[in-house]
Amino acid sequence: MGKKKFILFFCLFVALSGCATRPTDPEELKIYEETNDPLEPMNRGIHAFNQAADKVVLKPVAKGYRAAVPSFYRGCVTNFFDNLSQPVHLVNALLQGRFTDAGATLGRFVTNTTFGFFGLFDVASEAGIPNPRNDFGQTLAKWGWDDDGGPFLMLPLLGPSSLRDGIGTGVDALAHPMGWALWNEHELHYGLVALDGVDTRERAMDLLDDLEKTSTDYYATLRTMSRQNRRKKINEVLNNKEEEKPDYEADFSDIEWED
Amino acid sequence: MKKLVLFLIAIFMSFAVRAEDPAIGFVDKLADKILAEIVATDKTKDEKEDFFRNAFTDALDLKGIGQFVLGTAWKKTSEEDRTAFLNAFTDLTVKTWADRFNLYTGQQIVFQGTRNAERGQIYVDSVIQDKQPVEVIWRVRPSKDSYKIVDIIVEGVSMASTYRNDYRAFLQQNANSVPALTAELERKSREFKAENSK
Repeated sequence: MGKKKFILFFCLFVALSGCATRPTDPEELKIYEETNDPLEPMNRGIHAFNQAADKVVLKPVAKGYRAAVPSFYRGCVTNFFDNLSQPVHLVNALLQGRFTDAGATLGRFVTNTTFGFFGLFDVASEAGIPNPRNDFGQTLAKWGWDDDGGPFLMLPLLGPSSLRDGIGTGVDALAHPMGWALWNEHELHYGLVALDGVDTRERAMDLLDDLEKTSTDYYATLRTMSRQNRRKKINEVLNNKEEEKPDYEADFSDIEWED
Repeated sequence: MKKLVLFLIAIFMSFAVRAEDPAIGFVDKLADKILAEIVATDKTKDEKEDFFRNAFTDALDLKGIGQFVLGTAWKKTSEEDRTAFLNAFTDLTVKTWADRFNLYTGQQIVFQGTRNAERGQIYVDSVIQDKQPVEVIWRVRPSKDSYKIVDIIVEGVSMASTYRNDYRAFLQQNANSVPALTAELERKSREFKAENSK
C-alpha cells in the first residue's frame, strides 16, 4: 500500500468508526469526561489491530529474542539504545528548565559512551547517576498543556498515549540522533529501530502478559494505567508541591469500612 | 568529622522513622513476612500461594476495595451478588498478586515516611531499590489496633482505580450485570490455575 493510499484508508477508518456518543445522564457524563476518550471506537479498532499484530509478529519475535539471546546481552542492547536516546532527553530537560536532570543526563551520556563502551554498559547507574528520561510530552506540559494532554489516543504499534504525548513521541523520534547519523543508511537505520522495538517488547512481556491475563477489559486497563503513570511523570517536571489531594487518591468517600 | 556526625544522624533518623511510625512498621513487617516465607524458602508453589492468600487477605481490606471497584453498581446489587462478586474478586486478586510477588527477588524496600490521606488514612511512601527505582505508596487505614491496606500505588498507578475503571468498562458492555462480571472473574481465575499448573 502506498503512503497516500494508507492515509486515505486511515481517514476513512476514522470517519467510519466515528466518535463515542456523549451521554446525557449526569453520572454517566461525569464518567465520560473523566475517561476523556471521545475517539474510543477508533482507539479500540487500533487496539484490536495492535493485538493482532502482536500475536502474529511482535510477541513471537520478542519471545524468540528472549530465548536466543542471554539476558546479559539483552541488557547491553537495552543500555545501548537508552544511551543513544539521552541527547534527546538532555534537550528536553533544558527546555523544561530542569537543570539537575540535564546535568544527570549529560553526565550519564558522557560516562556511558566512554567508560560504558559506546553505551553497552550502564556504568552510570552503577555509580548512582539517575536516569530521568525527560521527553517532549513533558516539555509541552511544562509549556502549559498540563491537563491529561488532550483525548486519549491508542497509537498503532506504540500503544497507549494522548494527543499531547503522541505529538511528543513524534517530535522525540524526529530529533533522535540515530536518524541524523544514519541519514543515508536506511537499511541499517530501520534494522536498528526494529531491534530497539523487539528489545522494548521483550522487556514489557511480563507486565503485559500479567495485565491481559488479569483484566476483564484489557483496553480500559491499558488506558487507565498509562494515564495515571503519565500523570506522575508530568507532575515530576511541573514541580508540583505535594497537594492536599494527590492525583492517585481514589475517592473512598462512599465506602463503608468494617473494622 | 563533620561527615561522620551527619552520617550518624542520618542513621539515627532512619531508625527513628522506623520505630516511631506504626504504619511503616505494619507495611515493613508484611514485606518482611512475604520475603521470608515466599522468596527465601523452598516451599511448593501451592504452599506459597496458601501462605500468600492468608497474609494478603489479612493485610488488605478487600471488602472495602471490592465495594469501591464496583462503583455505582454496588448500591444496585443484591447482597447475594455482592458476596459472590467479593469472593471472585478476592480469589483473582490473590492469584494476581501472588504471581507479581514471585518476581520479587528480595530487592530492598526503603521507607521514606508517611503522609495523611482523608479520614485518618495514611500514605506510607516507599521505594523498591532496583536499577530503575520503583516508587510504591501504600494507603492504609487504622483498623482495631493495627492497619488494613486499602490501596497500593505503584509508579503513580492506583490498584483500586485501575480495577474500578477495568470493571466499569466491562459492565458498560455487559448490560451492567454484576453476575456476568463475577463469572468473568471466575473464568480468569480458572485460566490462571490452568496456566500455572502447566
